[in-house]
Amino acid sequence: MNTQNQNGYMLLFRGNDWTRSLSPEEKQKVTDQWMAWFRRLTDQGKAIAGNPLEPEGKIVSGKNRVVSDGPFAESKEAIGGYFLLDVASFDDALAIAQECPGLPYGVQVEVRPVAAECPLASELKHEAQFANA
Amino acid sequence: MNTQNQNGYMLLYRTDEWYNRLSHEELQKLIGQNQAWFERLTAQGKAKPGRALERRGVIVSGRNGRFVTDGPFAESKEAIGGYLVLDVETIEEAIAIAQSSPGLAYGGSIEVRPMADECPLDVRARELAREEQLATV
Repeated sequence: MNTQNQNGYMLLFRGNDWTRSLSPEEKQKVTDQWMAWFRRLTDQGKAIAGNPLEPEGKIVSGKNRVVSDGPFAESKEAIGGYFLLDVASFDDALAIAQECPGLPYGVQVEVRPVAAECPLASELKHEAQFANA
Repeated sequence: MNTQNQNGYMLLYRTDEWYNRLSHEELQKLIGQNQAWFERLTAQGKAKPGRALERRGVIVSGRNGRFVTDGPFAESKEAIGGYLVLDVETIEEAIAIAQSSPGLAYGGSIEVRPMADECPLDVRARELAREEQLATV
């Protein structure tokens, strides 16, 4: 994997059911830790955006644009929120992901490089390269 | 579900890279449609710039993030390909915008999620504190 990326990285926090088993004190503690973590990253200029998502939502899919409920709240895969990071290397983004206070409680953090352009446009260029070869 | 939300909505694009199966002409047409769609939403003040994500990454899990595995798999229909933030006030409008997305005709799905103004953990902690207060009255 290319370990440098000028477009930054996105952390996707997966799991939105993990707090159910925590005591009120543990919940408060992990909330404070999470807020302090985000504030520190913002102060350091490493986090440029971040937002929790409400646990509920809808999924729109297919040619007929069918609307269904989702994601399921109990899913470990459901996305609970994200950070957008302005760091230049994958290793920096990974190190930040590893600091996530939710990890001991089962949260999974997906680390993804932000793309320079729409994947449709890169696919088009890719095709053009092959056509000219 | 509360259908009003002042914090906007996030559209999460879930994709299995269906666009790899399109012809050059189809791809070009779709790019044009997408651009026009997004420009219209931006001009109406309904969409903020989104981001596309590269088709690679890792998943970190476990205490101190000691497990680092490759993912998500590109062929997964669930993999997130990118997102868009909508500045609209109802979920109905957010859903209608998702439904008008030109790419849906070809594959993938769009998850529509209300954005929270504060962490759900905070909200829950406050609820619990209030319950405790009531219990002691």
